[in-house]
Amino acid sequence: MIPMRIAILTILAFIVPATATAADSYEQVCRDVNSKMVKIFGAGGFVRLNNFGSGIIISPEGHILTVASPLLDTPELAVHLYDGRRFKAVVLAVEPELDAAIIKIVPEGKQPLDPTGLDLEYFDIAASAAKPPAGPGDWILGFSNQFEIALREEPVSVQRGVVSAYTTLDGRKGGFDFPYNGKVYVIDAVTNNPGAAGGALTDRQGNLLGIIGREIRNKQTDTWLNYAIPTHAVADVIVKETVNGKEESKTVTLKLPEFVVKGMKADYRAVKRDPSPLRAKVYTGITFVPNVLTRTPAFVEAVAPGSPAADAGLKPDDLISFVDGEPVTSITLFIDYLERRTKPGTTIRLEVRRKGLTQLMSVQLTVKEPPAPSKP
Amino acid sequence: MHRTLATFALGLFLCAGFARGQDINAANEKAMKAATVKVAPSVVRIDTVGGLEIVGGGKSPEIRTGTGGTTGVVVSPDGYIITSSFNFASKPSKIFVTIPGRKDRLEASEVATDQTRMLTLIKVDATGLTVPTPIAKKDTTAGQWALAIGRTLDPDVEHLPSVSLGIISAKDRIWGKVIQTDAKVSPTNYGGPLIGIDGRVFGILVPMGQRGSKETIGYDWYDSGISFAVPFEDVLAKFPAMKAGNELRAGLHGIVPKNPAAEYLYKLEVGALQPKSAAEKAGIEVGDVIASIDGKPVPNYSTFRHIMEPKYEGDSVTFKVMRGDKELEFKDVKLLGASTAFINGFLGILPLRDDPGPGVPIRFVYPDSPAAKASLKEGDRIMKLGPPSPAGAPPRPARPLANRDALATTLASMAPGDEVQIEVKRKDGDKIETITLKLGTIPDVIPAKLPMPSSAGKAMEGQPKAKGLDPFGMGDKKDPAQKVETGYIERANTAKDRSFWLYIPSNYDPNISHGLIVWFHGIGQGGKDGEARSQLLKQFCEDHHFIVMGPRSASTDSWIPTETQGVVQDIRAIMKEFTIDHSRVIAHGTGNGGQMAFHVGFNARDTFRGVAPIGAKLGTTPGDNIATQPLSFFIATGDKDPNVKEIEALKPLLAEKGFPVVVRVVKEAGKDTLDAKTFEELQSWMDSLDRL
Repeated sequence: MIPMRIAILTILAFIVPATATAADSYEQVCRDVNSKMVKIFGAGGFVRLNNFGSGIIISPEGHILTVASPLLDTPELAVHLYDGRRFKAVVLAVEPELDAAIIKIVPEGKQPLDPTGLDLEYFDIAASAAKPPAGPGDWILGFSNQFEIALREEPVSVQRGVVSAYTTLDGRKGGFDFPYNGKVYVIDAVTNNPGAAGGALTDRQGNLLGIIGREIRNKQTDTWLNYAIPTHAVADVIVKETVNGKEESKTVTLKLPEFVVKGMKADYRAVKRDPSPLRAKVYTGITFVPNVLTRTPAFVEAVAPGSPAADAGLKPDDLISFVDGEPVTSITLFIDYLERRTKPGTTIRLEVRRKGLTQLMSVQLTVKEPPAPSKP
Repeated sequence: MHRTLATFALGLFLCAGFARGQDINAANEKAMKAATVKVAPSVVRIDTVGGLEIVGGGKSPEIRTGTGGTTGVVVSPDGYIITSSFNFASKPSKIFVTIPGRKDRLEASEVATDQTRMLTLIKVDATGLTVPTPIAKKDTTAGQWALAIGRTLDPDVEHLPSVSLGIISAKDRIWGKVIQTDAKVSPTNYGGPLIGIDGRVFGILVPMGQRGSKETIGYDWYDSGISFAVPFEDVLAKFPAMKAGNELRAGLHGIVPKNPAAEYLYKLEVGALQPKSAAEKAGIEVGDVIASIDGKPVPNYSTFRHIMEPKYEGDSVTFKVMRGDKELEFKDVKLLGASTAFINGFLGILPLRDDPGPGVPIRFVYPDSPAAKASLKEGDRIMKLGPPSPAGAPPRPARPLANRDALATTLASMAPGDEVQIEVKRKDGDKIETITLKLGTIPDVIPAKLPMPSSAGKAMEGQPKAKGLDPFGMGDKKDPAQKVETGYIERANTAKDRSFWLYIPSNYDPNISHGLIVWFHGIGQGGKDGEARSQLLKQFCEDHHFIVMGPRSASTDSWIPTETQGVVQDIRAIMKEFTIDHSRVIAHGTGNGGQMAFHVGFNARDTFRGVAPIGAKLGTTPGDNIATQPLSFFIATGDKDPNVKEIEALKPLLAEKGFPVVVRVVKEAGKDTLDAKTFEELQSWMDSLDRL
């Protein structure tokens, strides 16, 4: 025991002078990041819909990245810089699938697309996205104007924590109502508070990792989820393009830095989508046992001859336990997965328990068959 | 020895690092990531399929647990994995385990549960698994870095597990059972390890609360900076017993303290004894004062709990007690597991309420009850009673009773079949008779018509505060002269974002103790049914002195169990504000509200005495009957309710646990309608809950 104490004392003796001269104190990091943060004021002001939010500066000109929230839905959008300067702002681009929006500062007397003449400190989104993403255990700092605590030139709030996970959220528990399906940073600090969405998530040294997301509660575990959308975010989005003088809608894969480049040029138009675009009608040919409980296990009752499931080798009494690596805890969850995550033509991987052994099989989904016409 | 050297080496390494001007944060971050990498092979992911729907919420009418994957830790190379029982609250039909570095997902079976620490041991068919190194309890101190590790957020076990960073906040929490940390712990890492900065394991993350040890307890502390882990050292010590398939249950002693609220002020005096409990069998008696356990002095109830709560069934302890000025020793008292269903002994009377005593006046005598057989009559006053005599021995002299509460406490130590002596002062005249009778069981019969008045109307006088019960003078401040607002009242707790309605009968009188009906609305009602519900109960409330309270669920859709805490807080505030009879607080509700009534009934045992769900399945693991916290059930539904069979089956299920249960199935009715007859029965049941 005594040698241990001595060792600890020795460490302490070294730590004290070491920290006094440490190179990257949080103080400097906080100052640097704060100069790239803005406070956003817009629509809202009702219960659970704040009229304040956060954003990060992404160009010297005063382009700002924030989340796609109803806050932006006003002609009277305003931003406050770290030094207290106040500006009007306009929305240049919004992409709900990335949950991101670009707004731009408009100085008094200028038009929205005019050069602003500003020369601000900014985060380079492309440079951030070019680095590998952070992982579990990496220390992070969160910067945002949560709860509208900071006014005018007051610095935004800073929190510290670690990345808990870099993972996708959708389909995990079915308890989220979440627009963005890609990977997110889950954070162990309580960063996602009112007004925090659009804030910066940085590493220990102030390098941007992502933007802080909304307040989302997991209804099934009754926990609040703290997450940030990484600068590596990718989403399948529908865009309108003019081809040969004709306007067409098409689905493209869009990275956040691409959205930022286009959005800053006001050259991006998102397409309003069907409120439930992913509720596809796919056909497997499986009939499950009666779904009497909320969590009836996905036992197969029957398989239609010649159906995709029959082709794959599924048999009555099989228990579907995983689909594409996601646990299938109930029939309801399996059907929900099909509706949300697949479309006709998609091939799903199933892990099936049959007599105590696991069978792997792939099922290529087809279009849902119309109900057989009833006999006259 | 090796460890000391390793720490020393680490210290030297760190010192050298600092000497080179490296930054302490970078060193810490690096060490933490290395710790996570080190423990990762021992942290497995567990997925469950199927199972009961029991807790949880969302839009579904059922109450259920989250269905995401959970976490476990390897405790033995040959396939044994320990995890939190929370993950098994829903009794899954299949359990799958994914182990880092192994391709196949394995099916697991449940081996045993440690009910006191909320741990479950499961087994997969595998060998060569990596058991992490424990950090000894003696080396665990507050302030050390601690990382909570889980496998829920990322289903791929080849990735690093999820991490939440904190420090050790304290050890020996919850009566010495767990380590406390401020790392974020929730269903995302229950069952996972809490590790130190060197990758060794402090303990296994579990939900736990001060109040009890049900599977779902601990919800209240999500995201609060207060979380718990069972020391890994303790887990490994109990592993052989669990491996052998033994269910580990708490070691019960059966001692009920006289003043449970005064944890620190006084020596522990035995106020009641659970019949057939370890302490009673050993010969400890009501009135004994506990002096020491296993040689350790017991200055108060808190110390008693610190010593006794970590004990398991089968552990032996030696009590020293003071009986008068005599010191007695009870050697090697073997603690029992869950007490066999305890059934409260029944005298067969309804006492007249709010009588300052001495003695207990009788309002009603149950036909064919022990009291009736002993020819007790309405208006008689029971002056003395008990204690029970051992079988075959002559009756022991009765002891004076101060009032109704004293009678209830005395009877709580007695079981059906116990012979007691009572002294009765007859209604006419001052003649006192001594009678011996044998206690019975609470009958299914609900008395049709109860005599009025039910109260002597003297709740505010008499009832002198027993010395020591209220040392800080924080007792109720009900002023009889003050005018109370009556009728339908809206209340809101804006700070907590909660609201409820209240119905106070127009004839409210603080001198009369009132029953409290807590109505849990059904799905989608959101409390909109408050006015109609209070109209329905208005006459009953006025005649029988009841207050109705209607809390609202946070979501309009349905109740979720996590709301229990808030609701109970609001109920306690109402119990302070009005004169409430603690023996008639009832959880009542329909559908999902009925399930919530079951849930709060079982989880707030110190508050509720009756549960009356209409058209609701159980949806909760039933607890055991507790002598001093009796709970009665009135369960009803219609014969067209698709769940009618399941609801009828609750009668034997709950009766087996020792609870008095009445089940009524209304003919030609759906699940949430009662006919006039059943509704009247329900009212009589509510009014007779203080039967003794």
